[in-house]
Parts: sequence; structure tokens; C-alpha cells
Amino acid sequence: MSRVELLSPEGLRVDGRRPEELRKITSTTAVLSQADGSAYLEHGNTKVLAAVYGPREARHRALVLHDRAILNVEFNVAPFSTGERRRRTKNDKRLLEMASFVKQTFEPVVITTLYPRSQIDIYLQIIQHDGGTLQACINAATMALIDAGIAMTDYVCACTAGWVEREPALDLNHIEESSDTSEVTIAMLPKSGKVTLVQMESRLHVDKLEDVLSLAGKGCKHIHQVIDKTIRDRAEELARKMAV
Amino acid sequence: MASASTATPATTAASPAFTFSASTFQKLHPAEYFRKFVSQGVRPDGRLLNGFRPTTVHHGVITTANGSAMVRIGGTTVVCGVKAEVAEPRLDAPDQGYLVPNVDLSPISSSAFRPGPPSEQAQVVSEAIHRVLKESNVLDLKDLCIEEGKAVWSLWVDVVCVSYDGNIYDAALTSVMAALGNVRIRNPTYEEGIVKVSGAEDLSDDNSFTLKLARTLSSATFALFDTNLVALADPNFAEESVSQGRITITLDEAGQICALSKIGAGASSPALLRQCLGHARERAQELRQLMKQ
Repeated sequence: MSRVELLSPEGLRVDGRRPEELRKITSTTAVLSQADGSAYLEHGNTKVLAAVYGPREARHRALVLHDRAILNVEFNVAPFSTGERRRRTKNDKRLLEMASFVKQTFEPVVITTLYPRSQIDIYLQIIQHDGGTLQACINAATMALIDAGIAMTDYVCACTAGWVEREPALDLNHIEESSDTSEVTIAMLPKSGKVTLVQMESRLHVDKLEDVLSLAGKGCKHIHQVIDKTIRDRAEELARKMAV
Repeated sequence: MASASTATPATTAASPAFTFSASTFQKLHPAEYFRKFVSQGVRPDGRLLNGFRPTTVHHGVITTANGSAMVRIGGTTVVCGVKAEVAEPRLDAPDQGYLVPNVDLSPISSSAFRPGPPSEQAQVVSEAIHRVLKESNVLDLKDLCIEEGKAVWSLWVDVVCVSYDGNIYDAALTSVMAALGNVRIRNPTYEEGIVKVSGAEDLSDDNSFTLKLARTLSSATFALFDTNLVALADPNFAEESVSQGRITITLDEAGQICALSKIGAGASSPALLRQCLGHARERAQELRQLMKQ
């Protein structure tokens, strides 16, 4: 049984990146005409679309909170997005779990008390999957929320890091993710440096955790710069249009 | 009292309480709002009655799929991906593969859609596309045979609607045809009950095949508006919701009709149908140009 060599003798990874290198991130906001806010994010070969509807009237009266808005996150994976076609049902536990992670990540950041008795829907559509879905979704959701003009205390930037063979590596792709590598996803508020989500589902030696976390933290800071640039460019463009 | 009544006729007309802004009027009386435009021969978005929205087709946008396309018609955006999987053939058709289209109208695309199982509309569109592909023999299912009675290709054609602004059928069918047009599947080999698909080398004509499509379908949809039945080409969401019926014409490149459906709103005249057919022919020509890679 041949195993994929994840780190070449020169210290390069399967896709030619250095261990501390992110994949290319391209993003745009306001891509959908129907949604109140939307964003499209390409993280390497992972492509995610996020749409925000709301704040609007809550769908179920029973769920209404009198002093704040409720967040609702729905996940949708396009059947053609993965290598193997898989029909994912709406009740797939894995998807529900991911949606719940995203929801809990944003709950402390969105100032929900400004929108009492209403609901904010965040819809995430994965169009192409190449590892790091959760981080891409959180980053896209941040941009879509900003685009929708929903009040937040800070950006939320997420990044993954893992331990590949002999050293920590940033931003694992699908091949690295699926070959028994331990992977940590963290979501950070870049201004305060607070961490809103840490998620790991595999074994990692305690001594290595510190390195991996600090690397992921660095990744978050970098992603913040990329996202922030897109948001600022968009805001400038809007300001220019309004001035005319 | 007398003095007040003499003043009323003039003031009521100009009274601010009875004048709305155009957008308020649209919300209160959407049909009447449309009627005002249509009677002048234009539509609220500036199109003429037979005008289609700007349309773009992008090929091969999804690298994880065997074939893919993204189609935009005005504010409607759909992504179509085709995945090929090895499957067992049916007993009554041992040499035929499968072609399974599915349209997903996810809540991301419009606030009108709710999360949950596929809506009636999504299923209707899926079935319409399934039928038109099957009935007009777009693809010979025997081409998908790997080993008779043992293994065939199953083509999953999934359309995800990303942004919904009306006329989903035209957008979905265009994306399906464009995606089928750029499908490339690695050559399989069948040996003792195991199908092997060649590995990692780059795709080329030697190690993969494309689909032979018998015809390229293109469709045009018209919304029927009002009792005198005006046909509005390529209706958007707002127009769909005030219209009483719909005519959809699907044509192939020879101009033959592959499917025709008219639903809702009373009887439409043969003259109106002929008029729609004329516009559909022009539209088909335009779409074929766009679908060429």
C-alpha cells in the first residue's frame, strides 16, 4: 500500500506550497441579486457561496426571542462539488454539525440585540470542495453579513492548520485532510485576538498543539487582511457610486 | 359645508394622501402596475415585450465535475455539474446507462424558497428537463455502456440554482446542455467484474471520451399576462408572480419543436402561439451561439 508523500524531501507539500503558506484566496461580495447580503469566496479549489437574508420576520413564532434576533444557518453541498458524488440529505448529521458550528461562531459576534424578534438566515452553498470547508464557510459568511449591513463587533476569520508528517502546516487541502492528518480549525476575532471556535477531531500530541494553534492564528490574521481588502474596496466603490 | 364641497374636486386629485410613489403602487397593486407598463409596450425593467434578458454561459467552471456550466439570465444564475459514476444497468436495458437530471432550488437563491425537501416547483422543473432529454433522444444511452449487463455509466446532472429571478426552466435547460457539451470521462476498462478508470495523468483525447449529443436543445419561456393575453418573453420573478399562465417552447437546432407546454390562464390564440414560436426561434439561435465553446 503506497502512501501519498505529503511532504517532499525539499519540504514542499503535495500542491507545491511551503508549510506556512496559504492557498490563493479570491473573494467578492454582493454577488447575488436576491439576497440581502452575499459573498463568493474561492480558497484554492474550494468554492463557497454565502447569502444572508434578514433581519426578517421569524419563520416560526415559537422560536422568536423578544430581546434579540435568532441566527439560522443552513448548509448545502452541491452534489457535484466532491470527488465522489454523494447525495447528501438535508438531515445529514455532519452538515447539521457544521451549520451548528457556524451558528455558534457568529452568535457572540453579531449584535443580535439590535434586531429583536427577528431572524437572520445565513445560507451556505459549497460549489466545489477541496478541503477546509468550515474555514471557507465562516470567512464567506463574515463577508456576506458585512455586505448585508448587519452589526457585528468584529470580523470572524477562520483558518485551519495541522501537523503534516514532521512539521505544522497551514491550510490543509483535501489530500492532506483525508490522509490521516490531524487538523485544527480555529475562528478568531482579529482585532481582539479572541478565539470563538476551536475544532479538532483527530489525535494530536499536546506538545504540538501550541505550534499548530499559533500557526493557525497567523493564518487568520492573513485571511483578515485579504477579506478586509475586499470589503474596503467594495465600500469605496459604493461610496464613489453614491457620490455621483 | 357648502364651501368645503366646492373645493373638494380640485383638491382630492392633488391631495398627497392619494398619490403613491411608483414603488408603493407596485407593492399595493402589482398587476395594475404591470398593466400600465404593458399597455405602453414596455416592461418595468425597460425591456420590450419580446425582449430577453442578457444571458451569459460559462463552461467548465467546476473542476471536481466531469462537465459543468454556469448560466446567467438576468438575475437568475444556475450552476450545472455532471458527475459520471459506474452503476449496474437495469435488467430490461442491459446496454443502457442512466441520465438523471435534478434541479435544486435552494433557499440561498431567493427569499421565496424555504429550506426543506425539494419544492413542487423544483420537482416539476426536474421532471420537465428529464422528459425533454429523454423524449428527444439528446444522448444515446447505449454510449454510456461499459460492459453489457454488468456496468454502465450513470450521469448525474445536478443543477443548483444560486440566484432566482424567474424563468428557471430556460436557465436550467441551457446549463444542462452546456454542461453535457463539455463532459469528459476517463476511458474505463472492464476486467472480471471490476471497472478500472485510468489514474492521474492529464485528460486528453487518448484517455477519455466526450458525449455525442444528437441535438442541442434551447428553450424560450413566455409569461401570459392579463385577459387579452400578452406574451412577455423571459419573465422575471415579479412578472411570473403577476402572470396567469406560461408558454414554454423547446427547439432543437433544426428548428423542430421538441417540447411545448402552455399552462394556466384560459385559452391562448393560435396567433399568439405562432408569434411566440417566431420569437423562440430567434432566441434559440442566440442561445446556440452562447452555448458554443
